Amino acid sequence: MSSTHADLAIATFAIGEIVEGTQTGRDGATLIVSPPQLAVGAGEPALAEATVEVVRPGDRVRIQNVCDVVVPDVRADDPTDTFPGALGTLTPAASGTLHRLEGVAVLSTCDWERAGYVGPEELPDSLVDMDGPGAALSPWSATANVVVRGVPAEGAPVADVDRALRRTTLRVARTLAEMTLGATPDGEHRFPSLGVDGSDLPTVVAVLQVASEGPLTDTFLHGWALGDLVPTLLDPREVLGGALVNAAYDWPSVRNVTATYQTNALVRELFGADGERLRFAGLILAPGYLDTAFEKQRAAMLTAGIARSLGADAAVCTTFSSGNSHTDTMLTVRALERAGIAAVPIVAETNGGLTDHVPEAVSIVSAGNEDELVAGWEPERAIGGDVPVRSGEPVPTWAYLSATVQTGDGWLQGVPA
Amino acid sequence: MTVVHYVNQFFAGLGAEEAAGHEPVRFDGPKGPGNGLAGAGLTVDVTLACGDDHFGEHEATALATLLGWLDELAPDVLVVGPSFGSGRYGYACGVLAREAGRRGIPVVGAMTPDNPGVLAAEGAAFIVPTGSSVAGMRTVLPVVAALAARLAVGEELGSAEDEGYLPRGLRRNVRAERQGASRAIDLALARLAGRTATEVEPTGDAVEPPPAVPDLEHAVLALVTEAGCVPQGNPDHLPTRHANVWLRYPIDGVASLGADAYESVHAGFDTTDANADPNRLVPLDAARALQAAGRFGSLHEEFFTTSGVDTPVATAAKFGQEMAEEFREAGVQAVILTGT
Repeated sequence: MSSTHADLAIATFAIGEIVEGTQTGRDGATLIVSPPQLAVGAGEPALAEATVEVVRPGDRVRIQNVCDVVVPDVRADDPTDTFPGALGTLTPAASGTLHRLEGVAVLSTCDWERAGYVGPEELPDSLVDMDGPGAALSPWSATANVVVRGVPAEGAPVADVDRALRRTTLRVARTLAEMTLGATPDGEHRFPSLGVDGSDLPTVVAVLQVASEGPLTDTFLHGWALGDLVPTLLDPREVLGGALVNAAYDWPSVRNVTATYQTNALVRELFGADGERLRFAGLILAPGYLDTAFEKQRAAMLTAGIARSLGADAAVCTTFSSGNSHTDTMLTVRALERAGIAAVPIVAETNGGLTDHVPEAVSIVSAGNEDELVAGWEPERAIGGDVPVRSGEPVPTWAYLSATVQTGDGWLQGVPA
Repeated sequence: MTVVHYVNQFFAGLGAEEAAGHEPVRFDGPKGPGNGLAGAGLTVDVTLACGDDHFGEHEATALATLLGWLDELAPDVLVVGPSFGSGRYGYACGVLAREAGRRGIPVVGAMTPDNPGVLAAEGAAFIVPTGSSVAGMRTVLPVVAALAARLAVGEELGSAEDEGYLPRGLRRNVRAERQGASRAIDLALARLAGRTATEVEPTGDAVEPPPAVPDLEHAVLALVTEAGCVPQGNPDHLPTRHANVWLRYPIDGVASLGADAYESVHAGFDTTDANADPNRLVPLDAARALQAAGRFGSLHEEFFTTSGVDTPVATAAKFGQEMAEEFREAGVQAVILTGT
């Protein structure tokens, strides 16, 4: 792999400690956060209120009604390009230099039910515990978190509120990362353009499934909702560079948050193995949660067609959310296998086993059982709600954000016991 | 800590085959292999024993006596066997393990993987696999003692593979050594190299399609849905997800489900189109047309409904059994089940 100016470079800055201060800034590995300063920056008419709070691993806090997680990133070349389309100017996310904070995440929360946008139980509890047994489940329990709490303005349309919350969260993430501009990074990862190298290594593609069903269940590419997505070849560096932003708030343990895209393990692993163990031929962005059998079969067929045109020998298929989308994944596996491509799906299990299965799926990665109960815990306080939900009660794994994420970013695995 | 150990007549020192009809008996302290458990650090407080034939021939009474003692002793852990390849002994160990497990007592056993006791235990015990010969006693007792000692203090055991017990038919979450992406790439490359492996397989609980209804023109059909179809306003509060009930609504004399009278409260899909015509949730209009054309005899007087969103398979299976029982009594021969 050769390096050129067209590479995507992610320069990382490790944050060891986060403290509150009157002025947001950075002092080496210490990030200074001024909550009022960050919140004032909101300026979004669809939000009645936006507050910012800081929590650290070990705090006896349950963060609830969590919508999204964003890793603090800024485009060093031009900060106004950060999160292109969603917050910044529309520019390729696949090249240039990003500054990224490590050990810190920006979480957004909103109580959509209290604001009257959804009915009871319409959006399941979405939790991040900073201590207790649940802290082992969500990766966002191990980061120092800057939590944005958005309160919708009376009567504002749901799409406007969501857009305002999303932009506020991305803006806070960008502002925090801006504290590194001009500084020397702790590390740097380079991701070059993918090309044909003529080697006889096995050719592998990634199939990244996303879903977009309308406000509160959307995924955005360059700020554009993906409701009409057909399988598309996408430069995998767009994913790492902040082109994909999550706005789907259902099923916390199995959906993707924005950070899942920014730090996507599958893309990073495939880049890491490229030219060594395999040839990384590209990423197919594919829709899941499609409504009809026709749409599902068509998407599966198109995905297999793109994979074949890339010369793929194998594909890793990720899954977005639970239930319905597992059929999209399995039909995609079937279509790939019938095209002679070895397909490995990543799916979460339930207490009932696999949600769907095709006989062609012979190599499956388990993302863990989303129904397993986690021992109860009594937090001292809640963020994102008045009082902690499910306090002292066993909590199903599915309530913990990203616990059984099916992108390859998770650590859980279901095993015979 | 209280440790109880179950053995058969032979290992309790009551005698060999001639004592196989011995009724249940209890002793303070260890007997036979219980001494080996003590040698491995697990002190047996009470030993329960029963003749293998007696248990097989008088299972209900023998079990009642043994469980009575267990209820009284409330042990922190129960060890059964090792019963190796012995089918009768293994079966008694398995049944006692199952019942103790249901009482919340952790149980450890040891036997051959094909011993009938493994099935009898129904996943309630941690069973260490052994060979068929008692000669393996010396190696298996320390393993059994170690697992039992940890369970007795409330420790959770790891996976079957890591801990060395037979899979109990359950799945549990562990933190893998590597992220899913890295494992997925390995599986893909292994597959290309001709080595197929998987981390999870389907459960194989496939339902056989029934034979065709022989006399459809005279058959009674019923309509069932998991699409969350209820009368407007959801008067009986059908949960929108995690439903723990199913409901019934009369359709005798009803020709079609009007949008003004029915709706879907299902939380798992966009209900806009379905609510515009609830016949797409429960196909009553089509059924009535086919009925009028004489394609089948009659329609059952009620449709059954629930919302199938994140419903555990066990709950769904229970719903199905309850519905099937009612339909069988009502003489229903076929069901059209609309899913979402």
